[in-house]
Amino acid sequence: MSKISPRQLYFFLACVAPVGKLVLLPTHLANIAGNDFLYPLLVQYVIGAAAVFCTLLLVRRGKTLPVLLEEVCGKAVSRILCTLLSLFLFYATLVPLLEQKTFVQSVFYDTLPSLAAFAPFFLFAAYLMAAPLERQGRMWDLLAPVAAVGLAGILVLSFGSADYGALLPAVSMGFKSFSEGTMSATSWFYDSAILLTMLGKVEEEKGIAVKGMLFYLLGGAAVGLFFATFCAVFADTAVNQLFAFSKTSKYFAGITVLGRIDYFFIFLLAMVMAFYCVLPAQAGVDLLVGAFHKPRFLGPAVAVLLAAAYFTVSVSLDYRFGELVKAVTSTSFWVFPVFTVLAPVLLLALRGGRRES
Amino acid sequence: MKAEKFFRTLPMKLSILLFALILFTFFSNDFGLVDIQKTAIILAVGIDKSDDGYTVASQIAVPKGSDRTTGGTSSVEIVTEGATVSDCITQIYARTGWVPKMVFCNLILIGEEAVHEDVFGFLNYFLRNEYMSDSCFLAACEGSACRVISSRSAVADASSLAITGLFSDAAKKAGRVMTITLKDLSIGYYGVSKSGYLPYVRMRLQEGSQSSGEEESGSSTAPQYVYSAEETAILSNGAMVGLLTDSETLAFSLLKGNVFAGTFNAPDEQKGRPVTLTVLSDDGKVELKVGARPEVTLHLDLRVRLCCRGVTAPLEDIAGDSVPDSVLANAEEKLDGDILSLWRKIAAADCDLFGLRRTLYRTSLKEYGRWKETLLTGAAVTRELHVSTTN
Amino acid sequence: MKFVSGDLAKTRDALKKLLPAEDILTFPFRAAGGLDFCAVFADPVTDKELLGEQVVRALLPYDGPHRAEEIAKRVTSPELRIERTLEGLAKEVLAGNPVLLFSDMDAAVVVGTKKLFLRSISEPSTDIAVKGPREGFIEDVKVNTSLVRRRLKTEELRIEMLEVGRRSQTTVALCYLEGTAADGVADEVRNKLREIDIDFVADSSYLTHFLSARPYSLIKQVGSTEKPDIFCAKLAEGRVGLLADGSPIALTVPYLFVEDFQSSEDYFVPAYRATFTRLLRLFALLVAIYLPAFYVAAQLFKLQLFPIRLLLTIAGSIRDIPFSPSLEMLIVLFVLEILNEASVRMPKYVGMALSVVGALVLGETAVSAGFVSTPAIIIIAFSGIGLYAVPNLIEETSVVRLAMLLIAGSVGTYGIILATGFILYRLVTTENFGSPLFAPFAPTVGRDLRDSVLKYNMGSLKKRPVSIGSPNRRRMK
Repeated sequence: MSKISPRQLYFFLACVAPVGKLVLLPTHLANIAGNDFLYPLLVQYVIGAAAVFCTLLLVRRGKTLPVLLEEVCGKAVSRILCTLLSLFLFYATLVPLLEQKTFVQSVFYDTLPSLAAFAPFFLFAAYLMAAPLERQGRMWDLLAPVAAVGLAGILVLSFGSADYGALLPAVSMGFKSFSEGTMSATSWFYDSAILLTMLGKVEEEKGIAVKGMLFYLLGGAAVGLFFATFCAVFADTAVNQLFAFSKTSKYFAGITVLGRIDYFFIFLLAMVMAFYCVLPAQAGVDLLVGAFHKPRFLGPAVAVLLAAAYFTVSVSLDYRFGELVKAVTSTSFWVFPVFTVLAPVLLLALRGGRRES
Repeated sequence: MKAEKFFRTLPMKLSILLFALILFTFFSNDFGLVDIQKTAIILAVGIDKSDDGYTVASQIAVPKGSDRTTGGTSSVEIVTEGATVSDCITQIYARTGWVPKMVFCNLILIGEEAVHEDVFGFLNYFLRNEYMSDSCFLAACEGSACRVISSRSAVADASSLAITGLFSDAAKKAGRVMTITLKDLSIGYYGVSKSGYLPYVRMRLQEGSQSSGEEESGSSTAPQYVYSAEETAILSNGAMVGLLTDSETLAFSLLKGNVFAGTFNAPDEQKGRPVTLTVLSDDGKVELKVGARPEVTLHLDLRVRLCCRGVTAPLEDIAGDSVPDSVLANAEEKLDGDILSLWRKIAAADCDLFGLRRTLYRTSLKEYGRWKETLLTGAAVTRELHVSTTN
Repeated sequence: MKFVSGDLAKTRDALKKLLPAEDILTFPFRAAGGLDFCAVFADPVTDKELLGEQVVRALLPYDGPHRAEEIAKRVTSPELRIERTLEGLAKEVLAGNPVLLFSDMDAAVVVGTKKLFLRSISEPSTDIAVKGPREGFIEDVKVNTSLVRRRLKTEELRIEMLEVGRRSQTTVALCYLEGTAADGVADEVRNKLREIDIDFVADSSYLTHFLSARPYSLIKQVGSTEKPDIFCAKLAEGRVGLLADGSPIALTVPYLFVEDFQSSEDYFVPAYRATFTRLLRLFALLVAIYLPAFYVAAQLFKLQLFPIRLLLTIAGSIRDIPFSPSLEMLIVLFVLEILNEASVRMPKYVGMALSVVGALVLGETAVSAGFVSTPAIIIIAFSGIGLYAVPNLIEETSVVRLAMLLIAGSVGTYGIILATGFILYRLVTTENFGSPLFAPFAPTVGRDLRDSVLKYNMGSLKKRPVSIGSPNRRRMK
């Protein structure tokens, strides 16, 4: 399988990555920052875009992350750092995974289903995690239009019931809510850490860092538009609307006649989301395999173990998802910037973004 | 070699295992799932206050079978009592063996007694329920909601279908009814306005419905009813604080700019009988300006056409649709009276029907802090009305 | 390796030893001024009249030098070859070409007087075009290559004859356009064919297993067609084609998934019509696969997928059905598959009667007896028809439909979505002969999208598809 092309990377940044921010993040931020919730999102996207820029500058070196680290600090330390990043990515998967689970239980069923209903997801996840990361590139070619159609469809169906005046007043909640919102949103922004694991697997292109950053911001604009629409549709009741993207479009006038046609778009986004929420874990497994020079069965073995572990966590945390989100977003939020912002910046500072001679 | 073979054939073995698993779950067919055959599809609920809590009448759709000659929807009403609405709904399962599904519930009807308390005391059940659609219509009714829900409609298969028929877009455009959904009411309630409204449903016995049934079948049949919702209950902090008459409801509708092809009557002194005017365009809005004192402008600019005169008219008069200036002036005067009456009612009840507090909150937090308690009573109100005709 | 000796009797006996079957006959005769000849031939597949006319009669007056090359010149058959090995001669005899042995000579002449039992060239039943050529391949590889040659009158057309199958010795014609075919694909196909170690090749379909990168995958990886015009068009796009003797189905590689949504007719009608029909095929296929699954999933897990009025109608229809919605649908699907299978295999004269019994009587009575509901029959009937909008994928899509139904009945809509994701992932990650199966969608090849589900005007298709990898990009100036 060839490397990930820059186009596929841009598709990922502009269309696939934003989908992960449409489930619980809007409600979560609305809870903390009220209708000021666009500011934490904006800050996160600006930081995220800078981190993406730094990470993509390293693409020009044409080396994988383990190799880059090995050059800086030797083989043993490189392996330790790669393992740490993998562990972080496994940890970062938790929130989207359980988010996906509660979303599925709520949106895909009329009554609360049994735990087994979500079990096939773990088979799917295990399969994806065992596959090389490069293969995702082509999937992004396909998922990008799917995500774009899904989000556009939902937005179009939502516009009729949206009152964008609900975003006013422009500043109402104060700095505390803003900072709290910004900090707790970090758990949804780990895209640059995923990009780190893709180093050496992406084809080089002139200006890839700038373009990547712009595409990431474009995705951010789409997320921002959705957030604004979400707030415009639900106003003060937004705090109660879990699984945001499955809610805003259901007030479309045609639904009374045609039925829930918005489900078509919701299903499209759900499929993209299924791939996106496995991605950090998949990247983590791929990084481990790369760092330990690809022992033959390491990838599949870790993938199966990890899927089993996630399944166990999802079963044991069934009704304590809220607590987990709280724990991740309030107590260990600092872990995320370390790997998503600090790591790329440090690596760039140490190795530079110059092409290898 | 052995390991090699094992791993080569592993995907095939796993596929077979997966297939077996799928087959098992397919045929066992039960993850606690509630399929269509075990479901009570609730079309509407009526909620009344009772001594110990609530009484809920749930109207459940009963399919008539695939025979097209007997098509349509029949329904059965289950009345349950409990400390909370949730309690009442849950009892449906105990009584019928069907699991109640609220996703298709299109109407929540609130009884007279219940609507005088904070309705979100029980409506929160529907907001919390992820498996409930919050786009269902809400309405208050005269007397018992359970009785209305359980009544037999003279015009539709089920009472809820007849009532929701009143909330159609056409009725809304005619200005005869102000509809609202659970979502919109909760936005008003949880927002800074803390106000809302509900269409107010009255039930009237269809004349002759009982006697004709008796004659035909020889046995007594349930009486049939027709419903109207031309009045509007206004709510403040979730409780009903007043009732708008049908004229005030039309004025409210006009000020919202909703009306197209709606009609209203205006006196015509020359002919001695009222005339009916059709609204062709409705430019209604309520504006708020904040200076030393808030100023509210109730602005209404209507273009109308003559729809019907109460007296005979020559053919050339019918062919034209011009409205005499005196009628236009009378129409302005009548609407002005309705609007004034509407404003007085909502101001007295502190019901922010036009979302003025919300407007103030969005434009100026400082002024909102200053006026949020006295905005409706303390504001200077101006009415700007202009009714014109097409010619 | 044994060679022809100068001793006629010895050579004949050695050849008979190699070909002991009773239908291998020998015909000794004397001609050319007293020279002894012996024709060895396979009786059922040799045209004896031609043998007498073109060989024996032609040699009787011969009085020239007694050398194989000279004698061969007297034989009036256009297909002649000198052969010196006994194995080579045996192979020719079995192929229906008689061999002519002479006394005192260490070579024999192979005469191409094969008797051909051919059906006439007719329109294939699987690939009908209302507008466009009606010719279809037949079972003879030579006729098939002639059909190709007739359409591609260029010196760049290469037709290489290979033999596959230890016992069947099936002739496989490898066809491609030199300079247009994707780099290395012809070599790769040739190598793969040479590596095949199988005793019998009954049909070209046998070869697809060996030509597929993922041979156990459900996903089709080799293109097929029965029509020479499509075959030639594919060669002209840069593909490599295979024609196997005994099979009317030609294979082409690299295969793109989108090919099966294209019909030859799309190129003979206006572009907007072609685009519409392609979208229609895609829609029909998606509906055929997903409709039964979503219908079941909606009834079991998510009633909201139905509008309320439709839901009430369905609820009314299934009220007294004794099976769960999923089982009901599975039963109806199985009945359809059985009817389908039986109607293909059953003799034509009972076919019509049984179709009526199956489709009308069985369906109608099953509904009135309350075994199954009307919506289930409507949905399966629609799905059954929809699959045939893309007939070349029928083997795969019918399995996918069944899988989707089972998944829908087990875990509902989310299962369908995951399964769809999985299938798409497998599709986009499959490559064969250097071309990604799901191109031009993934990887996205902008230019190739012009002839994918969309169909641009011919003037916009000046270049060959990038996805196939032809070194000669331009096809129109």
